[in-house]
Amino acid sequence: MNWKDSQLSFPLLVVCRLLLAVTPFIDSLDLDHNHQLSSPTNSFVRLQEGLFLFKHDIDPYSGGSFYHSPLYLSLFTTILPTSRFLSRLVWTLIDALGAWALVGIWRERQNLRSSSRDTLIAAAYLLNPYILLPNLALSTTSFENTLQLLSLLYACRGRASPALFLASILLHLSLHSVLLLPPLILLLLSSPHSHLSNPKYFTAYRNSKGSLSNTLSCIGEFLIYSVILTLCCTMVADSSGWIEKTWGVGLTLPDLTPNPGLWWYFFTEMFDHFRSFFLMVFSVHLVMYVAPICMKFQHDPLFASFALLGVLGMFKPYLTLADPGLFLSMHSIFPEIFPYLYHPLPTSLLHLHAALLLPLFHSLWLTQGTGNANFFYASTLVFGMANGAALVDAIWAGLRIAIGGKEAEDEGEIAVVQE
Amino acid sequence: MIFSWRILPATLLLYVLGTLASPTSETFQEELTLRPLRDGKVISRFSFTTLREGAVPRNPELLEAKDIPQYYTLFPLGLGQVLREYAASELHLSLNSGKWDYEGWGYPGEQEVGTGAQLWAWISDGGSATVDERWKGLRNALAGLFCASLGSLDDQRTTSPKLAFVPVGDLPAWKLPHQLRHATLPSENVCTENLTPFLKLLPCKGISGIAGLLNPHRLFDADWHGMSVHVSWREGRGIEVRLAFQAVFDPVRLSIDKKRDWSLQSIFDKSIRKACPVASSSRIVVELPKNEAYAIDPKPSIVQEGFAVYDTSHVEKDLDISLRWPLESVFSYPLDPPLQPLSPLSVQRILKGTSQSRGQLSVSIRNTLPSEVQAVYLETMPWHVQFYLHTLKILVNGHARDDPLSDIAYTPPVPHGRPALLESVLRLPPNSTTQLDMDVMKSFLRYTEHPPDAQRGWDLPPAVLVPLVNSTSFVASGASTLLGNDMSRRPRIYTRTLLVDLATPDFSMPYNVIIMSCTLIALTFGMVFNLMTRRFVVVKLRETPGRNEVPMEKTE
Repeated sequence: MNWKDSQLSFPLLVVCRLLLAVTPFIDSLDLDHNHQLSSPTNSFVRLQEGLFLFKHDIDPYSGGSFYHSPLYLSLFTTILPTSRFLSRLVWTLIDALGAWALVGIWRERQNLRSSSRDTLIAAAYLLNPYILLPNLALSTTSFENTLQLLSLLYACRGRASPALFLASILLHLSLHSVLLLPPLILLLLSSPHSHLSNPKYFTAYRNSKGSLSNTLSCIGEFLIYSVILTLCCTMVADSSGWIEKTWGVGLTLPDLTPNPGLWWYFFTEMFDHFRSFFLMVFSVHLVMYVAPICMKFQHDPLFASFALLGVLGMFKPYLTLADPGLFLSMHSIFPEIFPYLYHPLPTSLLHLHAALLLPLFHSLWLTQGTGNANFFYASTLVFGMANGAALVDAIWAGLRIAIGGKEAEDEGEIAVVQE
Repeated sequence: MIFSWRILPATLLLYVLGTLASPTSETFQEELTLRPLRDGKVISRFSFTTLREGAVPRNPELLEAKDIPQYYTLFPLGLGQVLREYAASELHLSLNSGKWDYEGWGYPGEQEVGTGAQLWAWISDGGSATVDERWKGLRNALAGLFCASLGSLDDQRTTSPKLAFVPVGDLPAWKLPHQLRHATLPSENVCTENLTPFLKLLPCKGISGIAGLLNPHRLFDADWHGMSVHVSWREGRGIEVRLAFQAVFDPVRLSIDKKRDWSLQSIFDKSIRKACPVASSSRIVVELPKNEAYAIDPKPSIVQEGFAVYDTSHVEKDLDISLRWPLESVFSYPLDPPLQPLSPLSVQRILKGTSQSRGQLSVSIRNTLPSEVQAVYLETMPWHVQFYLHTLKILVNGHARDDPLSDIAYTPPVPHGRPALLESVLRLPPNSTTQLDMDVMKSFLRYTEHPPDAQRGWDLPPAVLVPLVNSTSFVASGASTLLGNDMSRRPRIYTRTLLVDLATPDFSMPYNVIIMSCTLIALTFGMVFNLMTRRFVVVKLRETPGRNEVPMEKTE
């Protein structure tokens, strides 16, 4: 039996995940309330509270701590089940869909029908603990990640409408995903194949649709979908209060529940008169990455999306482990950069360090009461360093690959440095 | 001499005008109720009622116009001015300290016994100032008047329950409806600095009459003490201000030979020396022990239905009432048989869980009545603790049920903004214990929102249970006696306050956090932009004859 055959191994992986999801042991871990695995904007407990209020005719956006999109309300009151057991199955299947999309992106990038790497890529997504654990905690980031991958998959296939529609749904689930729109549109207008080792201007690689009018029509289509979904959301929520409670929350940070990101403690400790200034700085800072990365990687917009996902996985306001998890799993579809990674070992060690410290210090602070908030803050800083190291290294390798000369460098004959 | 003769006509004129301009007459009544309890304690309840006959609350629509002059004789001026300024139709303020033991002490005469400060007012809409603006002004003015931190009863603590706080008197039928504003501050304590302004509102201050017994040294040593102010309007009667002070003393603790005998002198360290001359009625009511040998001294004016009544409107010599149990050498607590609770309903509320991020709120309500009781359950919870309503479980005598709860009205909290309000009607089956369990989330606060003693935790306001029966039938079946004039009102049962332990950030860290987080962000940003902008160059380290030279190369 060939284990590398994705026809067989992919279903097997999914079955393993399903079995894991229905293990009663998982319930005893009480992952739902874990601050690393789900943040206020995607916690399952808060989703259930919102659904409860919604079903009892109380506007969940009239106050309180429900920050999910009205799309979730309509989904979970109609199609999707709310019982814990069935939810676990749905969540696992959503992850399986994400893994399938990731494998699909890989095949599009390599222009292959199937490859020996498919299993590895599916496993890199389905068995990544950063993705697996939030999924078991029923965090809705699993939906966001899968939508992100699906929209990238359709963009790779050059199918603009589904890609833009999925991106506009994603915009409603998570405001910051709008930063991924420019590389997504670039991807629609060029090819998903790897051009990292041969950087040229965008015009060299653009496809037949790559014209300015097409760009504008893509943006227009995205806007139309977004506006329609906005109207749908307003109809579901019966008021426009949801805008402040879903999109606004990512900008104003009203809920300071700890998460592995960098925002919460910064704004817990922030002086009141500087709060709005730094909120603006943190939001603008995220936007500033988009244009340079898209310009630098104009020859390979898929890599630009990857780099931007790395930025979001580090600097999102309500971060969960699933955000950097997506970035780390996506490494698997860029094997060409692996030889050029400058410090993969320190990055992995930093991640290992953070992954051990985060739950430990969280529990010491909030459950045992023997540590204070600085313990957990310190571990989020380590986690931030790990994410930063992974991001910088990936960008370095993505640029360094263009120069080549790997053997000469390894033998100490040349060194590639920056001017 | 010449000067004073000159102003005499003017003074006379002013006096005549003053009497003409005040068509209202005012009466003042005072009463002290003393009730010995079976555990040896004594409840004392002072009630001072000033009625301003024919007066009407100010219509807020006329707030812009100059107010018609008000001439007060007995009515407290400071309070009157506040009521006119903010056009409050009805107002109730209570400042209590201690936990009222409903099972051991029965149902209180002054029913507002929730720990800490509680203020609720019915204010009519209308005029240019909104209800909330006037509510803010009102609580700040009362904070100044009573030297209490009522100013902190801000939007983060203000709610408007629908069922639990019905007006005591009547509300004037103006064009716009009245609105209720209710706020509690459980961490507020009553002390001497609150009593002094309280006494100043009385016509005889603390000098004569029953108010002379209000000795702060003894009152604030009591096991439970609380003061309250109630302003209400009744159509055809006028505006009534009732100031009340309630305290639970422990004579056994005060006596040297462990007896429960008490007298005014032993409890208050004072006796009544002279009457308050402006009081239209003044009396002391002592509830007499049942089925026990006792001696009361001096002889009461009237004895009826187990109450001894003393008329104190004409006191010639020192009056020191004492109640003794002459056959008892030492008071022994009645332990056997187990004591029947004095209140038919009792509520216990606890917050479970050790984590600082979540917990479980558990409310247990016991109904010892042989009939079903409907009761309003009210929770006004600051946003520091947020309910997960979907986890609400109801157990009746240990069996899960979901029918006892109906008419749920829930206002979700707004972080940093407003508290949550949960009001619903509970059906309590006869002789049953109903348990409500609900998961709660503990919020994380900004470091500036924590109080100076952050590690102490936050006091959560008491929950309120209002049985939908009137007090007479309710209390009669509970083998307790209620005195006073609020027999017609619904009783209100307060739970104890809770203390919640919220996670605290490090208070010495703001600069460090700003510096360290910004460093990490700046480093990452710098490294990424370094890679984006600077050119890559290949540096030859040594000549290799076998290999082609790698030329200087650059990427875009």
